[in-house]
Amino acid sequence: SVQVRQKLVQVDPKEEEDFERELKALMQESLESRKLELRSRPTLNMIIPMNFLDGSKDPRFIEGESGEETMDEEGGSGGGQNKVRVKVLMKRGNKQQTKQMYIPRQCSLVQSTKQKEAAELEE
Amino acid sequence: EETGDEGYEFGKGTFTEHACRYCGVQNPACVVRCNIPTCRKWFCNSRGNTSGSHIVNHLVRAKHKEVCLHKDSPLGETILECYNCGCRNVFLLGFISATTESVVVLLCREPCLSVNALKDMNWDLSQWCPLIDDRCFLPWLVKVPSEQEQLRARQISAQQINKLEELWKTNPDASLEDLEKPGVDDEPQPVSLKYEDAYQYQNVFAPLIKLEADYDKMMKESQSKDNVSVRWDVGLNKKRVAYFVFPKEDNELRLVPGDELRLRYSGDTAHPAWQSVGHVIKLTAQEEVALELRVGQGVPVDVNHGFSVDFVWKSTSFDRMQGAMKTFAVDETSVSGYIYHHLLGHEVEQQVVRNTLPRRFGAPGLPELNASQVFAVKSVLQKPISLIQGPPGTGKTVTSAAIVYHMAKQGQGQVLVCAPSNVAVDQLADKISSTGLKVVRLCAKSREAVMSPVEHLTLHYQVRHLDTSEKSELHKLQLLKDEQGELSSSDEKKFKALKRATEREILQSADVICCTCVGAGDPRLENFRFRQVLIDESTQATEPECLIPLVLGVKQVVLVGDHCQLGPVIMCKKAARAGLAQSLFERLVILGHKPFRLQVQYRMHPSLSEFPSNSFYEGTLQNGVTINERQSTGIDFPWPVPNRPMFFYVQMGQEEISASGTSYLNRTEAANVEKIVTTFLRSGVIPSQIGVITPYEGQRAYIVNYMSRNGALRQQLYKEIEVASVDSFQGREKDYIILSCVRSNEHQGIGFLNDPRRLNVALTRARYGIVILGNPKVLSKQPLWNSLLTHYKEHECLVEGPLSNLKQSMVQFQKPKKIYN
Ligand SMILES: [Zn+2]
Ligand SMILES: [Zn+2]
Ligand SMILES: [Zn+2]
Repeated sequence: SVQVRQKLVQVDPKEEEDFERELKALMQESLESRKLELRSRPTLNMIIPMNFLDGSKDPRFIEGESGEETMDEEGGSGGGQNKVRVKVLMKRGNKQQTKQMYIPRQCSLVQSTKQKEAAELEE
Repeated sequence: EETGDEGYEFGKGTFTEHACRYCGVQNPACVVRCNIPTCRKWFCNSRGNTSGSHIVNHLVRAKHKEVCLHKDSPLGETILECYNCGCRNVFLLGFISATTESVVVLLCREPCLSVNALKDMNWDLSQWCPLIDDRCFLPWLVKVPSEQEQLRARQISAQQINKLEELWKTNPDASLEDLEKPGVDDEPQPVSLKYEDAYQYQNVFAPLIKLEADYDKMMKESQSKDNVSVRWDVGLNKKRVAYFVFPKEDNELRLVPGDELRLRYSGDTAHPAWQSVGHVIKLTAQEEVALELRVGQGVPVDVNHGFSVDFVWKSTSFDRMQGAMKTFAVDETSVSGYIYHHLLGHEVEQQVVRNTLPRRFGAPGLPELNASQVFAVKSVLQKPISLIQGPPGTGKTVTSAAIVYHMAKQGQGQVLVCAPSNVAVDQLADKISSTGLKVVRLCAKSREAVMSPVEHLTLHYQVRHLDTSEKSELHKLQLLKDEQGELSSSDEKKFKALKRATEREILQSADVICCTCVGAGDPRLENFRFRQVLIDESTQATEPECLIPLVLGVKQVVLVGDHCQLGPVIMCKKAARAGLAQSLFERLVILGHKPFRLQVQYRMHPSLSEFPSNSFYEGTLQNGVTINERQSTGIDFPWPVPNRPMFFYVQMGQEEISASGTSYLNRTEAANVEKIVTTFLRSGVIPSQIGVITPYEGQRAYIVNYMSRNGALRQQLYKEIEVASVDSFQGREKDYIILSCVRSNEHQGIGFLNDPRRLNVALTRARYGIVILGNPKVLSKQPLWNSLLTHYKEHECLVEGPLSNLKQSMVQFQKPKKIYN
C-alpha cells in the first residue's frame, strides 16, 4: 500500500478561539432555553423505565435486530480486547429497544459500570 | 472512444448522498446527517484542517442542533434524542450507564439528568458522557475517518467552511466548487515562494487550476460557429476528413492539432440532421482546419454549406495536474525526500549524486559541446535537481540530449523526457534518438493522426510496425479494423488487449520515453516509475503541469528553460494575477537556486544579439557565429548601415480598434510591412525565410489580408509568409524578422509590448536581419523600449522616409517612466 505523507495541520488560533466562543454560546443558549421551557411546563413525567432489565417480559420491548451484522471491522465479532460491548436503550415510537455497540474499555462510561460491578461483588 | 483518462477524476466521481459536504468522506460509519428539514446535509466526524470536526463545525456555524445516524452505522438510522424526554438538541445530550448489564442510555443534561428518580436509582451521574466532546462527536459513536481517508479527502479550510455556510443560507445546494467560481469568492490565495507541506501547496494551486480550467471551458465552448462551409476528403487511414475555416475572434483561442470539434448539420429535405465529433489533425497554411471524423457513416458528403462547429472541451490536462498535486501530497514515494523539500522551498543540505562521470560529456551523433554546455552537463549529472538556462540559440536541445544520453547510460532505469509543447518534445526526441538510444515518443491518442516529424519514434507507429510473428494476430485485426472501420465486439476486445500488451512491451524496452508534461499522466504510463526526469521548456509550464512527470518517483530532475523568455500562457486573469503564470523554474531561481547558463548563441548576427545580451543576460551572451557567417550574400536590401542588418523604421500612423473590438491594428504599419516583404522577396529571399511578428491578432489578420490583396508580387508568395504573434514564435527562428508594434497612442500604454520577456523573444528570433516598425514617441516612455531605441539611434539604425531612401530620424524620445523593479 501507499506510504502516507504526514500532514502538518495548523489550526489558526484565531479561528479556534472564534469557534470555541460560538460553540460555548450555543451550549449556553441550549441550556437556558431548556430551563425556560421547563419552567413553563410545571408537571414533569419523567419515568425511567427500569423494567428493561428483564425486558423479555415487557410486551413493548424488542431486542434490537441490527446488533451483530453491523459490527465494524476492528470490532470483529467479539469487539476485541480493548472494547466492551454495551446495549444502548432506545425508543422507537413507544417501543423500547436495545442495540449493541462497542465502547473503548478506557471510556469513563464503562469504567464506572465495571467499578460498580466490582464494588458490588465485593459487598 | 478511449481518449480521456479511465482513472482519476478530481472533484467528480460518483456522487454519494451521504458524502461529507465539506470534504467528501463517505464512509457510513464516519458520517451523520443534520436533521434540520431544510438542511439534511451529511458531514463527517474528522477535524480536517479545523479545530472542530466537520459535523460539529456545521452545527455550530449553521446553528443546527439535531442529527441522524447513518443506516449502516452500529445503531442504524437513528435520530439522536433523550431517552426520557425526547429532546434532540445534541449539545445537551450525553450517554449515561444504567446500573448494571452494561446498558447505556442517551439523556439530556437539562432536565433529565437532574431528575431525582435517577439519584434514587443510584446512577452515577458524574459519569455522564457528552455526545460532543472536544469539539468532536464521541468517536465510538461516529467514527473518525482514518488518516488515509482524510488525506484522500478534499482539503477544506476553516475560512472555506465559513464561506460555504454563508453561501448555503441563500443557496442550500451550493458546493465547494461554487465557492471557487469567479465572482462568488474574492481573489484566490496567491502563490508563495515556500510551502509548509505539499498539502498547503495543493491548497494554493488547486483553486488556481480550477479557475483556469473553468475559464478555458467557458472560452472554448463559446466558440460555436454557424454557416460554416465544408469540403470533404478521405485520409490515408480511410477516415473521413472535413476541411473548413474556423475563424478565431481574438488572440485567445488557438486551435491546435489534437483538439476536438463537433461538426453539425441541422438537416434538410434530402438529409437528416447529423453530427459527429472529430480531432483536428492539421491546420493548413490557408488557415483551414482539417478535422478527422470519428464516425464515417451517414456523413452528408454531398452537402458543403450550412454546417455548425462547436468546440468540445476536455478536462484531461487539468485533471492530471490536480491528480499530480494530490499524489505529491499523499504519496511519500512520489518524489525523493530531497526533491520534496527542495520543491517546497525548505532549507535542505546540498546533496551530491554519486555517479561515475563519463570521460567525455558529448554524445555520439550530436555536435561537439562548447565549454558552457560541457560544464552544464557535468554539473547536472552530479546534482539531484538542477536548472539550465538556455538563452535563444544557445543549444538547449543538444545539451539536453547529451544529459539524457549520459543518464540513460547510468543504468538507473528509463529516463523520462518532457516539455509542455508537442513541438519541443518532437525536437528533443529526434535529437536523443540520434545518439543511438532507444526512444519512444508517446503521443496523446487524440494526436495519433497528427503528422509528426518523428513518426517512426511514436508508440502508435511502433505498435503498427513491430513485425514479429507473435504479433501477426494484432496486425490482422488492425488491418481488418482499417478496412471495415470497426470490429465485432469480441474482436475489438481481443484487439485492445493485444494492443495494450504490445504498447507495454515497447514502452518497457525503451531507454527513453518522451511525451508532453500532460502526457506523462497518460494511463499507459500508470505503472511506470522514472528516477530521472528532464523537462525542457520548463519555464513555459505551470507548476502543476511540471509536477505531472515528477511524481512518478523522481530522484534526479533537470529543468531546462529560460525565465527571461515568455512564461506559461494563462488565460484566466484572476489565476494569472495570483501567480499561476510563474513557472517552477522561476520560483526556484527566486529562492536562490542558480541556473547553469548556456552562454554561446549560434543564431543571431552578432549585431542582433548585442542588445538582448546586454538587456536580458547581463552581457554574458557570446557569439558562436561570426558576421561573415551571417552575411546575406546576394541579398540586396537597403540596410542603413551595411554591416548591421537591423533598423527601427519610424511609423507615425494611427492605431485603430479592430473589427472584433478586442484587438488593435495599424494600417500604415501594415502597408510598410508589405513593402519590406516585397523588397526582401525581390532581392532573392524566399517566403519561408521571412517571419512577420505582431503582438495583436487584429494586426495579424489585417497584414495577411493586406499583403495578399495589395502585394506587388504573386499572391502565393505572400500566403507562404508566416505572420504570427510573438508567443507563437517562441522556440523558433527565421532568417529575417519584421516586427510590427502597432500601438501608437499618446495616452494609453503599449499593452503587450510592456512585458520585457515578450520583447526579448521578439528580438531574438532573427538569424540574419530584423526590421522593427513602431512609433518611438509612444514606445520611448517604457524604459526598456527607450534603451532599445537609444541603441538603434546610436548605431544610426533609427530611420524614416521611403524604403528606397531611408534617412536617419531625428524624432525626440520621451522621458521613460521610472523603473520600479
Ligand atoms: Zn444543518
Ligand atoms: Zn468531512
Ligand atoms: Zn431529556
